[in-house]
Amino acid sequence: MATGAVTAPVAAAEWEPTLEPRRRLAGWGRVARKNPVGVIAAIIVVAFVTLGAVEVISQSAFGTVVAPENPREIHASVQLQGPSLAHPLGTNQRGNDMLSRIMAGARVSFLIGAMALVIGFLPGALLGVISGYYQRWIDYVIQRGGEAWAAFPVLFLYLAFITALGQGLKTIAIVIVISSLFGGSRVLRATALITKHSDYIEASRSLGASDSWILTRHLIPNVMPIIIVGASSVFAVSVLAESALSFLGLGLEPGTPSWGIDLSEGQSNMRLHPYLVLFPGMAISLVVLGFNLLGDTLRDILDPRLRGSLR
Amino acid sequence: MWRYTLRRLAFLPLVLVLVSLITFILLRVLPQQDPAILMAGQNATPEQVAAIHAELGLDKPIATQYFDWMGHVLRGDLGKTYYSKRDILDEVKHRFPASAEIILLSLTLSVVVGVTFGVISATMRNTGIDYGVRLLAVFGQSIPEFFLLVLLILIPSIVWNYAAPVGGYVSPIDDLWRNIRMFAPPSLVLGIGGSAGIMRLQRTTMLEVLRSDYVRTARAKGLASRSVVMTHAFRNTLAPLVTVVGASFTTVFAGSVIAERIMSLNGLGVFFLQSVLQRDFPVVQFLVLYTATVVILANLIVDLSYAFIDPRVKYR
Repeated sequence: MATGAVTAPVAAAEWEPTLEPRRRLAGWGRVARKNPVGVIAAIIVVAFVTLGAVEVISQSAFGTVVAPENPREIHASVQLQGPSLAHPLGTNQRGNDMLSRIMAGARVSFLIGAMALVIGFLPGALLGVISGYYQRWIDYVIQRGGEAWAAFPVLFLYLAFITALGQGLKTIAIVIVISSLFGGSRVLRATALITKHSDYIEASRSLGASDSWILTRHLIPNVMPIIIVGASSVFAVSVLAESALSFLGLGLEPGTPSWGIDLSEGQSNMRLHPYLVLFPGMAISLVVLGFNLLGDTLRDILDPRLRGSLR
Repeated sequence: MWRYTLRRLAFLPLVLVLVSLITFILLRVLPQQDPAILMAGQNATPEQVAAIHAELGLDKPIATQYFDWMGHVLRGDLGKTYYSKRDILDEVKHRFPASAEIILLSLTLSVVVGVTFGVISATMRNTGIDYGVRLLAVFGQSIPEFFLLVLLILIPSIVWNYAAPVGGYVSPIDDLWRNIRMFAPPSLVLGIGGSAGIMRLQRTTMLEVLRSDYVRTARAKGLASRSVVMTHAFRNTLAPLVTVVGASFTTVFAGSVIAERIMSLNGLGVFFLQSVLQRDFPVVQFLVLYTATVVILANLIVDLSYAFIDPRVKYR
C-alpha cells in the first residue's frame, strides 16, 4: 500500500478540478441531446425511485401512505368505477382508488429492487472482482454455486423456497437477493479476469503497488461502468420478478398494494373494466422499460470503445 | 466426445441426489410449513396433527423418509398426492402434453423470430428497420409476459367479441383448430418475449463477425452479399446463439407456468404451483427432480453441440 500510494494518485487529483462545473454541465447537456431516449428513461427511473423511496419511508416510519386515499379502505359505494375526476385511474372491486393503489404499490417494487441491488448485486459484484483477481477457493465456490443456481428456472426456485419458507416479502427478497448476488459476481468475475491482465495493471504492479491498491484504485474504477449498467438491469429484473410472483398469488398477501396483485385481481372484471389491468400493467412495463433503456444508454456512454466520441 | 458425454452423464445422478436431498430437507425443517397443519386447520389438536403425520409418513426420521421416497421413485412409484390421493405418475402423464406443447412452440418461435430479425437488424445496421427491431426488442424485454398475454386475451374479446378456448387440453390430433386457438396466444407471447434476448445477442455477434477479416476477404473475392452473410458470417454466430437458446429454455419453462395459469391449462406448471401452495411434498419433490433432469440434459446438449458447430471445440 505504502509504495503504491506515492505513485498513482497524482493523475486522479489533477484530472478532477480541471473540469469546471460549467464545462461539466455542458458535457452532460451534450450527452443528453445525443440520447433523448436515455433522458426519458432517466426521468422515469428518477420518478419511480423517488416515489418508491417516499412510500417506503412514509409507510414504515409513519404508517401512512402518500396517496390521495387509503389504498386498502373498502368503499362499497364506489366499486368498479371508470376513470373520473375523483378517481383518475378508476376504482377496483373493493372500491379502492386505483391511483392510490398504484402509488402505494411502488413501495414493494422499489423495496425488492433496492434490496436486490444493495444486499445482492453490489456485494456480489465486489465478490466477483475479488474472486476474479485472486482466483483462489472463493472463486471456485462462487463459480460452482452460481452455476448450480443458474441451472434452474428462477420461478421454480421461488416455488421451492416458498414451499419451505412460506409466502411473503421475506421469501421473495431472499431468492431475488441470492440471484442478484450470483448474477453480479459472475459478470464481474469475468470482467475482472480480463482487466487483471491489462498493461496498466501490470505497470502498476511492477511499480510495487499492493493488491489492495490495485483493486481499489485500478480494477474497481475500471469495471465501474459494468457495475452501473448491471445495477440498472438488476432493478428491472427484480421489479419484473416481484410482479410476476404477486400476479401468480405467490407474493404478498392479497389486498396489499402491489402492481402484480392489482393486475391479477383486475383480470376477473377486465372485460367490462379493462383499465383495471391496463394501469397496473403499464406501471410495471414503464418502470422496467425505464431501467432497461437507461442501462442501454449508460452502456453506450460508458463503453470505453465509444467514450472518445463523446468528449 | 463419447467419453466426455459419459462423464457428464455419470455426474447426473450425483447432482440429482444432491438436489433432491436439499429439497427434501428444506421442505421439512420449518415447522410452520407443516402440511398437516394446513390439512387439519389452524385449530387442530396435536393428536389430529400427529395422526395426519403418521398417515403421510411424516413422523419418521428424515433419513428414513428420504430413502423410502427415493426407493419408490426409482421403482417408478411416485406416490399419491396428499389431498386428492391421486397417483402422481398418472397426473404427470396426463398434464405433460400441454406443458410440452407450450414449451416447444414458444422455444421454436423465439429462435426463428429472434435469429431472423437479429440477422436482418445487423445487416441493415442504422436503418429504420434496425431501429424498429431494436426498439421492439427492448419493449419485448420490458413488458411482462403475463401482461402481454392478458392483453392478447382482452383485446380480441372487446374488439371482436372473441374468446380463446380456455381450460383442459385438446390434442392436435383430435381437434387441430381448437388446439391451435388454445395454444397460439401463450406460445406467441412466450415466443416473442423470449425472442427479444436472442434478437439482441444475434445482432451484436453478427455485427462483430461482419467486421472480421475473413468476411472482408469473402466480400473482396466478389461473393454475393447473401452468401457472405449466410455461409461465412452466420455460421460463426452459432456458438453464442446456442448458449442463449439453452438459457431461454429455462426461461420458457418458467413462463409456461404463468401461461398455463392464465389460460387455465392443465399443465405441469400449474400442478407445481398448486402443490406448492398446498404443501404437497411428494409432488414438489418429484417436479423439482424432473425439472433438474430436463435442465441438466438441455445444458449437456448445448455443450455437446459446440463441437458440431465449431470444429475447433474438442471434448475429451
